[in-house]
Amino acid sequence: MKSIRKFDAVPKLNGSWKFLDDYSYQGMIFGQLLYSTCHHGIIKDIKFPAGFDLQEFTFVSAKDIPGENIVPEPECDQPFMAEKEVFHYGQVIMGITHSNLRILREFIKKTGVEFEELPAVTDIKECLDNEKNAFGKELTIDHRNGQKVDPTWIYHHKIYYTPHQEQAYLETQGMIAIWKPAEKMMFVRGTAQCPFFVKSGVESIMGKAAEKVEFETSEGIGGAFGGKEDFPSLLAGITALLSYKSGKPVKTVLDRSDDIKITTKRHPSRIEIKSWTDPKSKKIRKIDIDYRLDAGGYQTLSPVVLSRGVLHAIGGYDIPDSFIRGRLMRSNTPSNGAFRGFGAPQAFAAIEAHVENIAADLKIDPLEFRLVNLLRKDAEFPTTQLISEDHLYDCLQRVIEKSDYQKKVKEFKKWNETHKDKKGIGLAIGYHGGGYTGNGEKVLNSEIKVIIRQDAMVEIYVSSTDMGQGAHTTLAQMFFETIDHPREKCRVQLPNTSKTPNSGPTVASRTIYIIGNLLHDLALEIKAELGFENLEEYVASHQTEFPQEFRRNFIPDPSVQFDEETYQGTGYKDYSWAACVTEIYYHADTYKVELTKNWSVLDIGKLANPKIAVGQAEGGIVQGLGYGLCEFFYKPGFGRMHGFTDYTLPTSIDIPEMDIEFIHTDSEIAKGLGEIPMDFPAPSVRNAVLFALGIQINEYPMTPERIFKSLTADER
Amino acid sequence: MDFFKPANLEELLLKMQESSENRYLLAGGTDINVQIKNGLIKNAEVIYINHLAALNGIKETETEISIGATTTYFDILHSNLIKKHLPYFQASLDFFASPILQTSATIGGNIANGSPTADVMPLLLVLDADLKLISKSNSRKIPVSDFYFGYKKHVMKPEEIIFKIVIRKNAEEGYQHFYEKVGARKTLTIAKVALAGLKKEKSGKIKEIKLAVGSLNEFARRLPKIEAYLLGKTVTEIDYNKIDELLNLEITPITDLRSDKEYRYHVCANLIRTFLNQ
Ligand SMILES: Cc1cc2nc3c(=O)[nH]c(=O)nc-3n(C[C@H](O)[C@H](O)[C@H](O)COP(=O)(O)OP(=O)(O)OC[C@H]3O[C@@H](n4cnc5c(N)ncnc54)[C@H](O)[C@@H]3O)c2cc1C
Repeated sequence: MKSIRKFDAVPKLNGSWKFLDDYSYQGMIFGQLLYSTCHHGIIKDIKFPAGFDLQEFTFVSAKDIPGENIVPEPECDQPFMAEKEVFHYGQVIMGITHSNLRILREFIKKTGVEFEELPAVTDIKECLDNEKNAFGKELTIDHRNGQKVDPTWIYHHKIYYTPHQEQAYLETQGMIAIWKPAEKMMFVRGTAQCPFFVKSGVESIMGKAAEKVEFETSEGIGGAFGGKEDFPSLLAGITALLSYKSGKPVKTVLDRSDDIKITTKRHPSRIEIKSWTDPKSKKIRKIDIDYRLDAGGYQTLSPVVLSRGVLHAIGGYDIPDSFIRGRLMRSNTPSNGAFRGFGAPQAFAAIEAHVENIAADLKIDPLEFRLVNLLRKDAEFPTTQLISEDHLYDCLQRVIEKSDYQKKVKEFKKWNETHKDKKGIGLAIGYHGGGYTGNGEKVLNSEIKVIIRQDAMVEIYVSSTDMGQGAHTTLAQMFFETIDHPREKCRVQLPNTSKTPNSGPTVASRTIYIIGNLLHDLALEIKAELGFENLEEYVASHQTEFPQEFRRNFIPDPSVQFDEETYQGTGYKDYSWAACVTEIYYHADTYKVELTKNWSVLDIGKLANPKIAVGQAEGGIVQGLGYGLCEFFYKPGFGRMHGFTDYTLPTSIDIPEMDIEFIHTDSEIAKGLGEIPMDFPAPSVRNAVLFALGIQINEYPMTPERIFKSLTADER
Repeated sequence: MDFFKPANLEELLLKMQESSENRYLLAGGTDINVQIKNGLIKNAEVIYINHLAALNGIKETETEISIGATTTYFDILHSNLIKKHLPYFQASLDFFASPILQTSATIGGNIANGSPTADVMPLLLVLDADLKLISKSNSRKIPVSDFYFGYKKHVMKPEEIIFKIVIRKNAEEGYQHFYEKVGARKTLTIAKVALAGLKKEKSGKIKEIKLAVGSLNEFARRLPKIEAYLLGKTVTEIDYNKIDELLNLEITPITDLRSDKEYRYHVCANLIRTFLNQ
């Protein structure tokens, strides 16, 4: 598998690749959203400003919806637009159009909405700490063995908190809708990662008013990271309604400040862990995990995040007696949603800190403690799924070896004795289940399509989107490299819900793992069916047979069974594994943590494209390090952030040198890659701080203010 | 918004004579464009000044370096003249914003905008720089420390502009120096605390000391009480409790979205201590 260049690299560099805002249509006007600035209240009055001609505007609100005022989601509880009551800040009240975007923005800015304010939960801890805020279905994984707690076992009870995280995609949310009354057809183009989700969103709001809905992505999607999984459905629905009512093509692109304020973020979490460790064997004998997420105003897709969260909550440890409980908590803030990792980064942030805390309290070397408790081959997850490979151990061994971890631990401890500034080194491990959880892939039943033309051009039709991660390059590669076909003659087509079969959303690290492997299998199947050695020659000599279409569906492994009620069975068929070491330099004067080096070793199986794989790992690790070090979105007493002036993403010079290695690349199968790099870096930063300063900070990220507070609290 | 582009300095100064309640100059635009976008500046008269050669460039006389108001940070960072005479000043500004911002942000805009976090201010304060302000009928030179008198409040008259910044060539010569900008990340960040310092010692005693802080008061300022306390002391004679006490009288840090007042106070105290022991 080669490191070929992304096929969109050149057009992106020369500017010819079109992102959503580059599209324009005859007669197109602009749409924007009027949203709630109240966290919870009854809408009393909407006052439009004087000095504007209302005739020039088109307005849509809940009462204009011909279909259903419900965004289709795993939990269908969120309306497109508020009816009377708003449940969170940022909830859309109206869509408005005008032909002049500047006038439209000014009009909306000056529009006053009057609310009768009702009690609201806006503080993260207030939301997460109070059990009364729980809503939706509670999940439990019960793997208790009924053994009695031995009085010599040492009990640890800690609570870990993680903050919001902003996806910070480069291209903000945007949709264009074009209503074609003659055909009663709604065409929508947008920047989104799940074409069929957007289509069903538009179908829901339009109801019987539209006979056909078609969605096509823009040529370029400027980043998504999960942030363009569900919000696009809402934006598309409202934009479609605006086009339906105004009779004109409507383009709604959010500006950065609205995007940051009202779209989904990573769920803040509160994870409470109780554990019992046998000091003699150094084994954790029993664990109890209470995993809570701040879902925001509505559940939307949070139940699925919760599900992945509880399935990863135990981390990479073999603990014979475990009980895991997961709950969603309601707050009056915008619904949180998908973000690379999907519940797993929170899980590892907590368990990896907890394991480090136990090791520190019992004065056991954290590496040794991990090795004693590690999930090895033939051990089982709390779901009873058996671990079939020892690759987590291999990742850990390899990263220890190449980072010279043990030598550095000694060196740093010595150095720290005589210096005010401190050096730190931290370990963390992680894994990520590929594809939809449990029976999800079976239910999705992804289908792919390939058309081979008379000039031997292979057109691939899948609904996986290329949002900058290179999916359309690697997916094509999975096909053409399998049958030695020239790369110029194989191209993934722009996803369009009328032309592309539903191969599912571009989420859950499933694109190469599910769709790529399907393409690989389909290529072999076509080769066997037609019996060629060289496809180009075959097509040239059998012209009448072409163009020809081929399809293939996902074939579930019958051994994969998962019980959605008891959470027993196979959570995920295949797991990717990883381990990392992060080195830090702590500046005593400023309480600042500087990242100096990160080593990460990952097993994602076969690499579809080594260079793209490294790019994915680097990007994910950067997001993970930022999550551990400096990114947060809300400060008690000061509220949420408004933009990149305050929301601190690390820049390229805050990021240390990264040494990334993939192992077990000779494997038969390409496993999930998209999310795992995000899962483990944050706790490694936190554990390095514990090493350097000897303080256990159980709330992320490791900002200098938090370190300062912890240090001075220790003094008191 | 009303935009005006004067042909030369003369025309600009003439324009400035007209009375106006709501007038802004657009140099690099890196502050004012953000303020316009956020609706903080509305229906204003905006005058372009970036193209006026008379306001731009770095020059020397026998004893002084002058930096025209619209000189960008990029030019300051790449000037051989500044490198030769004011290397500390130059190296410290490397932390300003990012390379892209440095090519448009100007030194005059940084000062005139009046943010308590302006990076250049603590440096100009310890270098005892002067500002030359001009108008159609007048020209005056004031110490940079006299420029502000409150949050975003300064002494410029409506018809005046900053013409140039003047720094003595030997302003940093022979001094031990210190500069630290503390932000949420290494670059492209707004200072939570900034400390600039110059000191000279003679026979182990502090002979001269200049300390200036940014982001800790309504405007950047020197720390005269601490300076006075330190004069004539040897390093071992310094009582840090006394310094911490004086610091409390000289700074008024706040808690906001970006940082906390206790943190800011302690970081400032730590940095002073580190500089004094350097
Ligand atoms: C992304 C970003 C990062 C930034 N990072 C930093 C940073 O790290 N450190 C920092 O200190 N600042 C930073 N800033 C703020 C800004 O870049 C600086 O303050 C810059 O020096 C302003 O200069 P300008 O030429 O762009 O000013 P303008 O925006 O053109 O003008 C600013 C103000 O100064 C007035 N003015 C300009 N020239 C004159 C003159 N000659 N006489 C009188 N009044 C005048 C104008 O009327 C206006 O009110 C940042 C800004 C942005 C957008």
